[in-house]
Amino acid sequence: MGSSMDEKVVAVIMVGGPTKGTRFRPLSLNIPKPLFPIAGQPMVHHPISACKRIPNLAQIYLVGFYEEREFALYVSAISNELKVPVRYLREDKPHGSAGGLYHFRNLIMEDDPSHIFLLNCDVCCSFPLPEMLEAHRKYGGIGTLLVIKVSPESASQFGELVADPVTNELLHYTEKPETFVSDRINCGVYVFTPDIFTAIREVSSQTKDTATLRRVSSVEALQPATRNSTDFVRLDQDILSPLAGKKQLYTYETKDFWEQIKSPGMSLRCSELYLSQFRLTSPQVLASGDGTKSAIVIGDVFIHPSAKVHPTAKIGPNVSISANARVGPGVRLISCIILDDVEIMENAVVTNAIVGWKSSIGRWSRVQACSSLKSLTFKCFCLVSLNNHEPGSILCRSQAEGVYNSKLGVTILGDSVAVEDEVVVISSIVLPNKTLNVSVQDEIIL
Amino acid sequence: MKALILVGGFGTRLRPLTLSFPKPLVDFANKPMILHQIEALKAVGVDEVVLAINYQPEVMLNFLKDFEAKLEIKITCSQETEPMGTAGPLALARDKLIDGSGEPFFVLNSDVISEYPLREMIEFHKAHGGEASIMVTKVDEPSKYGVVVMEETTGKVEKFVEKPKLYVGNKINAGIYLLNPSVLDKIELRPTSIEKETFPKIAAAQGLYAMVLPGFWMDIGQPKDYITGLRLYLDSLRKKSPAKLTTGAHIVGNVLVDETAKIGEGCLIGPDVAIGPGCVVESGVRLSRCTVMRGARIKKHACVSSSIIGWHSTVGQWARIENMTILGEDVHVGDEIYTNGGVVLPHKEIKSNILKPEIVM
Repeated sequence: MGSSMDEKVVAVIMVGGPTKGTRFRPLSLNIPKPLFPIAGQPMVHHPISACKRIPNLAQIYLVGFYEEREFALYVSAISNELKVPVRYLREDKPHGSAGGLYHFRNLIMEDDPSHIFLLNCDVCCSFPLPEMLEAHRKYGGIGTLLVIKVSPESASQFGELVADPVTNELLHYTEKPETFVSDRINCGVYVFTPDIFTAIREVSSQTKDTATLRRVSSVEALQPATRNSTDFVRLDQDILSPLAGKKQLYTYETKDFWEQIKSPGMSLRCSELYLSQFRLTSPQVLASGDGTKSAIVIGDVFIHPSAKVHPTAKIGPNVSISANARVGPGVRLISCIILDDVEIMENAVVTNAIVGWKSSIGRWSRVQACSSLKSLTFKCFCLVSLNNHEPGSILCRSQAEGVYNSKLGVTILGDSVAVEDEVVVISSIVLPNKTLNVSVQDEIIL
Repeated sequence: MKALILVGGFGTRLRPLTLSFPKPLVDFANKPMILHQIEALKAVGVDEVVLAINYQPEVMLNFLKDFEAKLEIKITCSQETEPMGTAGPLALARDKLIDGSGEPFFVLNSDVISEYPLREMIEFHKAHGGEASIMVTKVDEPSKYGVVVMEETTGKVEKFVEKPKLYVGNKINAGIYLLNPSVLDKIELRPTSIEKETFPKIAAAQGLYAMVLPGFWMDIGQPKDYITGLRLYLDSLRKKSPAKLTTGAHIVGNVLVDETAKIGEGCLIGPDVAIGPGCVVESGVRLSRCTVMRGARIKKHACVSSSIIGWHSTVGQWARIENMTILGEDVHVGDEIYTNGGVVLPHKEIKSNILKPEIVM
């Protein structure tokens, strides 16, 4: 085996594009989903800083179809901060997850990498990338997938797969099956050797030959013609499924947490997961206080250095406060994300909510999700215990996701929303630039 | 003569339409809302229109250049950095409104649609010689609004009563004013309400007169009133310039179809329908009491009533759209789908029925 010291690695993070992210409204009305803050950092920051731990990382590419200018500032800032080259590559049209990788193969291969990581930006997990790389080297295939065991009930929302328990080879893969196949699912994090490009090319030349006979509904007919063209290649159905069982693809199982950030409610859940991860990896990032010089802090809380929080406030658990926010005296914050420039006035209560940029929360007002003040608690189907919480206790994947995903689970205030004094907002979504002077419950306020 | 149009803010009541365009550019009867007012002003000799805005000036300015050229009228913007209320913007635009000629200037509210009898208003203003004239309109439920209490014969205004609990009159402020330049001296440069501060001052000095607006009046700032407003507008068009309306075997009642729109065979269109530029209505379609905006396509056998179909949207074959369904820009409703009062944000596909009114984000 040659020395792995000279072998470079390139990471590609798929960030998607504007028309894909309507589930992230109303927050995505103002900011591309990948830049939405989770645990105090833009969503895409988490996979990027995980990539930094890969030995011999040469370059990180963000691939998507947002406008370049939406990522320009972020990319140059993060390149400087983490001292690793990060570049945004814009797809002219959607190519599918594998097609996108293939489309930029020349750039990716410029550094002559021995391995290429492919990550999805909206995956929230511990990203055990160096361990995956090592396992992949041992397996000797063309690719290794990160997989995780989930509850059988929730597995059908994902790509289900079967792996050989001894060799870890990927034996079978199927995307969102209707009947139960397996409780192990695809996490959306992969490492490949450059042979993957050959595999993608072979698939797209096969598509040319295959005729598809099916009724095209009027909605499908409206899809851009590229969907049916040869350069739209999906990683799951077109690459993983056919290559399974041919000793080319392997799996690496993670026993840590894993979520997909598909909705604003899930971003609150993932913020909690990352904050608890900070507690283990970099506790100095989290806030602390006992009410004397600074506010009382309970559990995992992130407070941006420029935010001002009054010492009589009580913050946490699971709170993330962004730049220049102001939290007044006697405020109680539980399980929430407070974005930049928000002002929360005296004695207000915010729980299970996301408060958008520049919004203001009036005195004695109350912003919350469901009718009870306690954190959402659900029967847990997950088989992973997190932070010593036993399965069957608080907040786990499938049920929690159901509530977090339901439109009216977590309260979301868009940017520049003003909640007036003493108003109560329960389980509602408020679009930008609205003023609430009466209490609302279970509503979407356009 | 000069005029100021109060465009104001975010147009949140007209969402999801205003998520794609600022409110003054949202089409009404196949024309951007603000164009109706600018044309009416141009017709009475206004040579400069100032738009008081506080949101998305860049988008507005591009369109305005277009109108300026076509209508040969000067259009400028006066941008509020903080919301200035209903009178503050006048003070902000002071320099543009006073040209030394001493002529009065118009102030219009951009949400209002009416017949704009501006020439009559100029005559009325000259006749009474007071400092300010306002249009009032008769409504059925005055307590929803601000009521103007006035002398019936002269029109001299006694006072304004905001949302009165007991009946004091049935005329409300229609949002169209003609003011002498001296009024600007009475408005401070700060957020001010014209109804609560400025007009009461002028009324106390016996200088404010109200004219009852002939013809229809509608505040089309929200979808329900938008649809009612279209009916009133088309009704008025039938009386004034019936040639503009479309006729034919497949047309019922008042229907306005842009000349670049295509309508298929076997359709039944109307009453109270507006079909915008570039729209395609395929065969066998039934449309009533609805607006189809630029570039939208209604596929075969579909049935749309009391709804607004946003720009470049599609309604699938045999779909049924009714009861205040509002489709934002680029919304595609699948074949055979039924929507009852769905309010759909832009860039969505509707693949399942919406059985009761709901917002689809």
